[in-house]
Amino acid sequence: MSRRVVVDPITRIEGHLRVEAMLNDRGVIENAMSSGTMWRGIEVILQGRDPRDAWAFCERICGVCTTVHALASVRAVENAIGIKVPQNADIIRNIMFLTQMVQDHVIHFYHLHALDWVDVVSALKATPAATADLAQKVSPTWHNSSPGYFADVQGTVKKFVESGQLGIFQNAYWGHPAYKLPPEANLMAVAHYLEALRWQKEIVKIHTIFGGKNPHPNYLVGGMASAINMERLNYVRDLITDAARMVEGMYIPDLLAVASFYPEWTTIGGGLGNYMVYGDLPQNGIGDPSRFRFPGGVILNKNLGEVLPVDLTDQGQIREEIAHSWYEYPAGKEALHPWEGVTAPKYTGPKPPYKQLDENGKYTWLKAPRWKGNAMEVGPLARMLVGYASGRADFKEVVNEALGKLKVPATALFSTLGRTAARGLETRLAVNWLGAEFDHLMTNLKSGDSATADTAHWEPSTWPADCKGFGFTEAPRGSLGHWVQIHGGKIANYQIVVPSTWNASPKDGKGQHGAYEAALMGTPMADPLRPVEILRTIHSFDPCLACASHVIGPDGRKLSEVVVR
Amino acid sequence: MTVGSVETARVLVLGLGNRLLSDDGVGPVLVDTLAAEGEAAAEVELVDGGTQGLMLLSRIAGRRALLILDAVALGAAPGTVHVLDGPAVLASGGASSTAHEANAGELLRAAALLGDLPARVTVVGIEPAELRTGMDLSEAVTRALPAALQTIRDVLRDMLAAQEGICVSPCQAKS
Repeated sequence: MSRRVVVDPITRIEGHLRVEAMLNDRGVIENAMSSGTMWRGIEVILQGRDPRDAWAFCERICGVCTTVHALASVRAVENAIGIKVPQNADIIRNIMFLTQMVQDHVIHFYHLHALDWVDVVSALKATPAATADLAQKVSPTWHNSSPGYFADVQGTVKKFVESGQLGIFQNAYWGHPAYKLPPEANLMAVAHYLEALRWQKEIVKIHTIFGGKNPHPNYLVGGMASAINMERLNYVRDLITDAARMVEGMYIPDLLAVASFYPEWTTIGGGLGNYMVYGDLPQNGIGDPSRFRFPGGVILNKNLGEVLPVDLTDQGQIREEIAHSWYEYPAGKEALHPWEGVTAPKYTGPKPPYKQLDENGKYTWLKAPRWKGNAMEVGPLARMLVGYASGRADFKEVVNEALGKLKVPATALFSTLGRTAARGLETRLAVNWLGAEFDHLMTNLKSGDSATADTAHWEPSTWPADCKGFGFTEAPRGSLGHWVQIHGGKIANYQIVVPSTWNASPKDGKGQHGAYEAALMGTPMADPLRPVEILRTIHSFDPCLACASHVIGPDGRKLSEVVVR
Repeated sequence: MTVGSVETARVLVLGLGNRLLSDDGVGPVLVDTLAAEGEAAAEVELVDGGTQGLMLLSRIAGRRALLILDAVALGAAPGTVHVLDGPAVLASGGASSTAHEANAGELLRAAALLGDLPARVTVVGIEPAELRTGMDLSEAVTRALPAALQTIRDVLRDMLAAQEGICVSPCQAKS
């Protein structure tokens, strides 16, 4: 008899991701189901529209993923029409991309993930002087480390806790035995959480400078429409310098300090062991993958000795299955490449609200994307592993340094903590590259090269009557692909495969689990009524949707329900 | 989508919600309408915040007053216009958000923690009827738009009048 734990979120719109975890008699997760409970179907909105406008709709799919969807969309249309953008357009796009990646990763760590490891209430018991000693040891270059500073932070948090307004801190299990940091480490982490929130108000101004004043940045098929102003560029340089200082002085030291208290999490949550990266950050145009800062490739079965090539146009590589998804395909079709993709919803699940889903039937609104029939994990860990296994010196340096400091072998990366650490290490690379891309732009501008767009192919009369293209990027949470077919100047078909579709994928026709499902299996739970272990692993993927998890016991009774934000 | 070019305009009108999800996008649609009518005073900045969550903290900082326009589901009849003041919004929706699809409550709590909460915060919301994929508002919400706009103009006039005793009234209702 197994027990089942269900996690279902209530977000601003009810129902996004839902995880059901089935426990065995020893309190270990022996089976898991990941379900997307709301149909989006943006593809349907795009059909028949002007391809030059598609990015503006795509930008609205997800709040934090705005720039990446816009980027994948303009690249797909440019690929279809045959537009090569000027180098400065690639550089500005890279700057936008990297700004978002750095901001998103830092906010993920402090705002969404740290509270899985850091006990805010315990921070109230810390001695400010001892916290200052700890902080000076952990982050010797970070300026805010005096006893008075930590006393102030403690006072702020105390006020919030006493007013009953735990506010953004309330979604956690304070006092849970799985929290292991001493009070001083908790107070330091909470202080840095506040600093990270403050810092991110500044860094996003880079998007305003290059993307326009609207919080939804402007993209353009053919390049970028940025009005470049030298005075504002000097400000960008300052913001990048501050970001690098914060990542090296605060985020990475905090990450390593927290990780050192949770060594068991280097052996939990590994999951599939298959990793995929499309690649991004072109240095010689999007058509030359050999010059991407993020190399593309596939690693199967944790084999770091081989990186296999990935091709988004090969109809035998990326295909979406629907054996367990609420869709129907034309008769006889079981898996479709996105160019031929069909989004025809057919809900056959129980009427909500329901207690549980049937893992043997259809149970999700997400399709099951597969690479040559294999389920894949995408995201920072995949990118760091592919860079590492490709022999790239910059990746090897940051990975080996972190493994050395934590005194763990490379196999520790195949875990929940490995995923969380990879995000931080990737941020080190990203903030460094951000400075390099900016310097490159300045060099071009100073040498008189100020072209940011190719407008020769703006008019549909210059396009082929029928064409198709693909666009891709590496979103903060993983590989993102857009595929478009254009007939007579209008969108005939548009398919998007987002990172969370890979990671939150259901089973496929062969019964292979998706990445979340596989990662949860084998996880021991200290207290099924307070499933912090599920939060840790699901958060380590940085899901782009709220996710509700439900824990079901061996007798089939629901033990708990929690929102994984 | 911004009118009133100074980033630190004293009053921020922030539309929240996803335009691709029918009634959820009513906040941004209201911002569009206000911008098209050109009624906002120089002291008012209109921003379509979409679902950008914490990315919007930088827009909130430094304001005297904040008016959030949003779809607000309180279980009333679809199309009902709700007016909530700051404390009610802060206390609401505790478990109902992600940083990725942040709601007004989450955003305001984060602003409060940083000491960035404007002195006056009001939410004008419309009870949604449909939250499906699509760019059209439901009939019930469409019918509620004039009443919501009237409420918004009243709140804005009040917010501006409360500013240092200077009375600006650019937001008079059009018949």
